[in-house]
Amino acid sequence: MDRLLQTLVAGVLIGGIYSLIGIGMTLIMGVMGIINLAHGQLMMVAMYITFVLSSYLHLDPYFSLLVAMPALFLLGVLLQKLFLNPLMKIESILPENQVLMTVGIGMVLTEIARFIFSSDYKSVKTVYSSSVFFIGGISFNLPMCIAFFFALALTALLFWFLLKTDIGRSIRATAQDRDAATLMGVNTGKITVITFGLGSALVAAAGCLLIPIYYLFPDIGGPFTLKAFVITILGGLGSTVGAIFGGLVLGIAESLGAAYIGMGYREMVGFVIFVLVLIFLPGGLKRLTKI
Amino acid sequence: MKRGLMLAGIVFTVIFCLGLSSTLAQDTIKIGIVLPMTGDQAKFGEIEKLSFDLALEEINAAGRVKGKKLEFLIEDDTGRPEVGRSVVEKLITKDKVVMVGGGYSSSVTYAVAGVCQQNQMPFLVNTGAADNISTSGWDWIFRLNPPVSEYAGAIESLLKVVVKPTTAVILHENSLFGTSGAKEFEKTCERLQIKMLLKEGYEAGGIDYKPVLSKVKQLNPDIVYMISYIMDASLLMKQAKELKLAPKMFIGGAAGFTLPEFKQNAGVASERVISATLWHEVVPYPGAMDYSKKFVARYKKETEYHGAEAYAAAYVIADVLKRAKSFSNTHIKQALSETNLMTVFGPVKFVAYGKHKNQNKLPTYVVQWIDGKLELVWPAELATKKFIFPVDWNKIWGY
Repeated sequence: MDRLLQTLVAGVLIGGIYSLIGIGMTLIMGVMGIINLAHGQLMMVAMYITFVLSSYLHLDPYFSLLVAMPALFLLGVLLQKLFLNPLMKIESILPENQVLMTVGIGMVLTEIARFIFSSDYKSVKTVYSSSVFFIGGISFNLPMCIAFFFALALTALLFWFLLKTDIGRSIRATAQDRDAATLMGVNTGKITVITFGLGSALVAAAGCLLIPIYYLFPDIGGPFTLKAFVITILGGLGSTVGAIFGGLVLGIAESLGAAYIGMGYREMVGFVIFVLVLIFLPGGLKRLTKI
Repeated sequence: MKRGLMLAGIVFTVIFCLGLSSTLAQDTIKIGIVLPMTGDQAKFGEIEKLSFDLALEEINAAGRVKGKKLEFLIEDDTGRPEVGRSVVEKLITKDKVVMVGGGYSSSVTYAVAGVCQQNQMPFLVNTGAADNISTSGWDWIFRLNPPVSEYAGAIESLLKVVVKPTTAVILHENSLFGTSGAKEFEKTCERLQIKMLLKEGYEAGGIDYKPVLSKVKQLNPDIVYMISYIMDASLLMKQAKELKLAPKMFIGGAAGFTLPEFKQNAGVASERVISATLWHEVVPYPGAMDYSKKFVARYKKETEYHGAEAYAAAYVIADVLKRAKSFSNTHIKQALSETNLMTVFGPVKFVAYGKHKNQNKLPTYVVQWIDGKLELVWPAELATKKFIFPVDWNKIWGY
């Protein structure tokens, strides 16, 4: 029983962080209709910012949320403005050349990081990095719990932003029907730029929250891009509520798979669910939530 | 007439220049080195490259090989077998290297070795450890480091003499290196009559190992044997600590557990963990300590056994080329098989034994993290510190 509970706790906690990683990609997917394949690499950039702040200025990783998020927002805005928006106007054989561009951006970011920081593994040590508390026989890793609650808070904040503010409403309008939104006087060009920034800032937050538990090297982005992609599909392309459930489902499924089928099948369980959702629930988990 | 003379002059000059440049080109001997310089194994590729560079400078400064300068063409295999294949094909056909060295990950090395065997290109492997690299009957492939099946040699005697466990769990990454190492340790356990409770592979690069570790905790084994690269190793130990998983001993099967980063990342969770290793700077080979000091002085960071392997391999290559009658592949192969050289990594001699072919035989060691330092604890006669056992993990971890 303890083992099942411990597994579920681990799954839910990691699922919260997955959600935060996935939600940024989902947001971009919803508004622009493209998969941002540099998503994990943007997280890597945020993690390096956190690493630098923590090792040279001795700032707490959670405090560096305040630096990394705006920095990545700006980076996202610049990327969208300078590299992605111009591509929209160019006719090409592949309509998805914005997606190809994101792949390129991801590679360049990785190599820049390697150039500056070399391929060494880095990690941020904090006093609470490996502190745990026990409830019953179940161990809770403190930074993991903090990350989970930050993830919840940020998601709530995002919802408030999307539902209550003017820009948020414009983002939703653009996601629903770009042409209609333009006709209604929404500056969709500007909205895409803001959305890309917002998505980057969210994944930056995930990076800051992840670094006390995990580690960092230039190639860390790829696997997380893949995770975010799976979550985006699971959640139903473009649905933010779906992405939250997608992240949790992925986290719990991976943990259960690791504990009861085999650790080596951890990733496989995630992908099997991914394929099953594509076949039997093409709209993603969004279809079940009706939001 | 004048024009004719000028033309002849130009032609002569061009021929002369061409001739000169080709003799210049012949002044260097090109050796291809295949290493992961990008991708998630880049860290080790870098240590090896720096060690190759260090050795190369010394070799060229100490007098050339048959009047020629050595040149290492380092190609990036990105840690993927298919890339390894294509870069070594390029080295052989385009760069016309006389032999190939390097080879970090087992999967890539295996692929590269296949290409070399096919092209009759001598290949000196210095790290790729999976057994099938030297048991495939390939006669053009020579291996400097012991195969992964022998990594646990010293561990076996330590378990037999001191720890005496009755049950064991193996956790290994599901790569060629991890699975073959796990299989070999299973055989070791059979020999020592240790009951195997669980043998589980995992995908490298995971965040959360608690599901499998809580399974291990429930089984309550005497020893936990892990074959992992560095960051997985630190996460496994950190999370074992969080779950208060306390067997008699945590054992690492080389790779990640001996690196300075393991201590930096795992922190107190690295204390008292033991690991098999192939080399440590205190091993009694000439130049071992010197190499380590030179490396630290030059690059301002620590080296470990992968670096020593590369450094030794560079010297073996230079030695082989000095002894080879010519730089043709058959002569180099001949010279390789006659190698008998003392290096910082130990004596190098390629022999056939069991199913292995062209394999260098070396002893292995056991090291333990004691108060933040990696100490050689086994074999006992070489030990720098006494092996600490039994260990009260909860006290070490500060619970």
